[in-house]
Amino acid sequence: MKELHFKQLDEKLFHEKLDNGLEVYILPKKGFSKTFVTFTTKYGSIDRTFVPHGETAEVTVPDGIAHFLEHKMFEKEDGDVFQKFSVYGASANAFTSFTRTAYLFSATDNLYENTETLINFVQEPYFTKETVEKEKGIIGQEITMYDDQPDWRLYFGTIENMYKEHPVKIDIAGTIESIDQITAEHLYTCYETFYHPSNMLMFVVGAVNPEEMMNYIRENQQKKEFHEPTPIKRSFQEEPLEVAKSENKLYMDVQKPKVYLGLKAKETSLQGEKMLKHELAIQLSLELIFGRSSDFYVQAYESGWIDESYVFDFTLEKGFGFAIIGSDTSMPNELVEAVKKELKKVEEKWPFGQADLDRVRKKKIGYFLRALNSVEFIANQFTRYAFNDMNLFEAVPVLEQMSVADLQESFTSIQGEKQQTVFSILPKKDQATS
Amino acid sequence: MFQSIDLNQGIRLHIRSTDQFKTINFAFKFKQELSNQSASERAVLSNVLLHSNEQFPSNPAFRSHLDELYGTIMYLDSSKKGSSHYVTLLAESVNDQYLSSNGVLDQVMDLLQTVLFRPNVEQGSFKESIVNREKDSVIQRIESLYDDKTRYAQQRLVELMRPNHPASIGANGTIEDVKAITSESLFAAYNKMLNEDELDIYIVGDVNVEEMIAKIKQAFAFAARNVKKQDSHQDVEHPSVEKNEVNEFQDMKQGKLHIGYVTPVTFTHPDFPKMQITNGIFGGYPHAKLFLNVREKESMAYYVSSSFSSSYGLVFVFAGIDASKQEKAVRLIDEQLAAMQKGEISQNELEQTVAMLKNQLKEALDSARGQIEIFDQYKDLDEAFSIEAWYEKWSSVTKDDIQEMAKSIEKQLVYFLSGKEELSQ
Repeated sequence: MKELHFKQLDEKLFHEKLDNGLEVYILPKKGFSKTFVTFTTKYGSIDRTFVPHGETAEVTVPDGIAHFLEHKMFEKEDGDVFQKFSVYGASANAFTSFTRTAYLFSATDNLYENTETLINFVQEPYFTKETVEKEKGIIGQEITMYDDQPDWRLYFGTIENMYKEHPVKIDIAGTIESIDQITAEHLYTCYETFYHPSNMLMFVVGAVNPEEMMNYIRENQQKKEFHEPTPIKRSFQEEPLEVAKSENKLYMDVQKPKVYLGLKAKETSLQGEKMLKHELAIQLSLELIFGRSSDFYVQAYESGWIDESYVFDFTLEKGFGFAIIGSDTSMPNELVEAVKKELKKVEEKWPFGQADLDRVRKKKIGYFLRALNSVEFIANQFTRYAFNDMNLFEAVPVLEQMSVADLQESFTSIQGEKQQTVFSILPKKDQATS
Repeated sequence: MFQSIDLNQGIRLHIRSTDQFKTINFAFKFKQELSNQSASERAVLSNVLLHSNEQFPSNPAFRSHLDELYGTIMYLDSSKKGSSHYVTLLAESVNDQYLSSNGVLDQVMDLLQTVLFRPNVEQGSFKESIVNREKDSVIQRIESLYDDKTRYAQQRLVELMRPNHPASIGANGTIEDVKAITSESLFAAYNKMLNEDELDIYIVGDVNVEEMIAKIKQAFAFAARNVKKQDSHQDVEHPSVEKNEVNEFQDMKQGKLHIGYVTPVTFTHPDFPKMQITNGIFGGYPHAKLFLNVREKESMAYYVSSSFSSSYGLVFVFAGIDASKQEKAVRLIDEQLAAMQKGEISQNELEQTVAMLKNQLKEALDSARGQIEIFDQYKDLDEAFSIEAWYEKWSSVTKDDIQEMAKSIEKQLVYFLSGKEELSQ
C-alpha cells in the first residue's frame, strides 16, 4: 500500500493496485462519522460497440444497456440487495453516465458488512429471462419520466445536434424500443467484458482505518477467481468536427422558451495532466466570458435575456467534449445572438489579462477546497479523474501554474462557427402561431 | 453540539468549533410569520440584498469581490417551515489556513455586515430598477414550477387539501403579491425583518469561540425584539376537503399520482418518532412496502414513495405511473397501508427502518449545513438534542405502535395529473 500526502490540502491518500488489477484508494477524513464507498467500472452508455470478452468479432448492443445492467445488478436469486444494505443501515445507490457505472453506499455503522455487500453484489451477476422482462416496465417509466422533463430534453437535444456518429448522442437510459430488445445474454456479455476488476476502481472515504480496510478488500478479492485481464477493444466511428445540425427545436408544455447554445470541442484526445490543464483552462475561460462577474452576464441579466436558470458548463471525456450556455428566456433569439457575438469578440481579440486570471483562479481554488468537505464529491470526481489518468488532488497546483496564454490556447478547442449549435424548447401554446 | 448565547432579546448566537471542515459556515436565520404577502416580499428582498450594496453598488463588483475572496459563497435563501417564513443569509468561505493569503475570514464577516446593514439605497428606499428586475426574477421562479410536473402536481394536491393555509403557501409567495411590491413596501419589509424578526445566527468551522462572539457582538448590533413564546405542543386540526378525488390534465406522457393523508401526529407530538418509522416502513426507503410491492413486484413505477410532513400532520405518497393504471396503482397503495393497519409488519422491516433513520441522522451531521439545520429544527423541542436520545426513542418502538400509527393515517385526497384526455382515449 502506498501513501500519498497532499500537504497543502492536509489530506492523506492510500493506494494499492491488487493482483487482479483492481485499483483501490482510501482517504480517511477526520471528524466524519460516515464512510462513503464507490465501486465503479469504466463502462457507460457510449460503450455500445466492442469485442466481447473471449471473442474476436465486434458486436453492437442495444442502446441503454449499461444503465439496464446497473438496475439488474441489484436483483439476486435471494432477493433485492437494497434489503441487505437496509439491515446494516446503509443508503445504497448507483448511477450510469456516458463513461462510467458506479455502485455506492454510505453508512455510519457496520462498515465492513456493507463493504462486503457492495463488492459481492457487483461481482455476482444474476440475470434471468423473467427478471430482465420485469425490469422493462420499471425502466420504461424512468424513460417516460425523463421525457416529461424539459431541461433533460434540452440537454440531450443539444448533444444530439452536435454529434453525428458518436454514441454520446444517445440517451443514457435508451428508448422504450431499444430496451425492449435487451436479453439476459446481452447483459452477461457486457458484464463479462466490462466488469473485470482491472477495469474498475474502488474508493473509500470518510471514517475509515486505511490499513484494515485495504486488508479487508484484498482478502475478499484473493478469495475470488478472475480470468487474466485482457485489454478491452471498444470501437467508435469517426466523428466530423462540424455539428450534425446547427439548429433544432422541440415543442413542449412549458411556460417560456428554453435555449442552449452548444460548442463542440476539437480537442478530445488528451489524457493525464495535459487533459487536466486543458479542461481547467477552458472552465476558467468560460467563467471569464460568461460568469456572474462578466460584462456578458450583466448585460444579459439586465436586459432580461436570462433568468435564474442560466447555466454554462464544459464536459470533456476521451472522444467527445462540449460547452453549453443557456437559460429559460422569453427572448431566445436575442440571447443566442448575444452569446455568439461574445464568442466572436473573444476570437478576434483575447480580452483577458493577468488580473482577470488571478480572480477566477482564486474562485476555482476556493471551489475545490470547499468541495473537499464532501465525501461524495471526492469519491465520484476522483474516479472520473483517475479513469482519464488525472489526479483530483493535482487540480490546485495545476491551477496555480496556469497562464493567460494557456487559457487562450485551450479555448480555441471550442471556437469556430461550424462547431456551434442551437437547441430550443418552445411552449406548445406558441406552436400553432409560429 | 453548539454553544448558544443570547446576544439580545430574540437574538441568539450558536457556535460550533470543529476542524472537520476546510471551510467556515455562517447562517443568519430571520424568522417571521408566513403569509403570501410576507413570503413574496421576503423572496424579492433576498434577491435585492444579494444584487448589490453600498460598498459594491453594482452586481459584477459585488461578484468580483466574492471571487477574490476565494470564491466565497454568499446567498440569501427564502424558505418556510410550519407557519413561519425564513430568510437565511448564508456564507461559506475557505479557512485561511489552506490559503496563501490571510484575512479572508475577516473580509467575509465585513461583507456579511454590509449585505445586512448597508444596502444599495437611493432616497431612503431600494433602487426601483433593481427592485423591478428582481421582482421579474421571482415571478419567473414561481412560474417555472409549472414546467416541473412532479412539483406542480404536489403543489396542486396541497392547494386542494389546504387552501389558504401555511401548508400550501409557497416560500416565494404568489405572482400577484410579488407584482404589488414597490420600493417603499420592500424597504419597510426589510426594516421589519432587521428589527422585528426572531434571529438565530450560526457559525460552524475551525474558529476561536471567544473571538467570534466578540466579533459578532461588535459588528452585528441587533436591537432587542419581542418574540412570541414557543408553545410546546398544540393538536393539529384537519379540515375536511370538498372532493376526495381530482383528475387534471396537461400535455405530458407520464401520470403523476399524488395522494394526501392526514394524521394527528406532528413534530411536537409525543408519537412523532413512531410516525417517522411508520412512514419509513410504508414508503420511506427502498426496503419499504411501496417500493417492494408497487415497483419491484408489479413493475408499475420507477419511483413510488411516501413522505411525512410533520409540521402539518400530513402524509403524502408520490408515484410516476402509466396514465392508464391509476386505478390499479391506487388499489395497490391502499393495500400497503391496510396491511400495516392490520399489523402486517415484520421485525425485519422495523429493524431496517430504525437502522436507516439512525444512519440518516448521523450522516446529516457530517456537513456544516446539516449540523445547522438539524440543530435549528430540534432546538424548538423541550429537550436538548442528542443522537443517543433519538436512537433510544426509535429503538423502543414496537410493531404494535406501528399498527396504531398506521390506523391514525386517513386518506383524504387522490390527485392525478396526466396527459390530455383526448390523447389517453
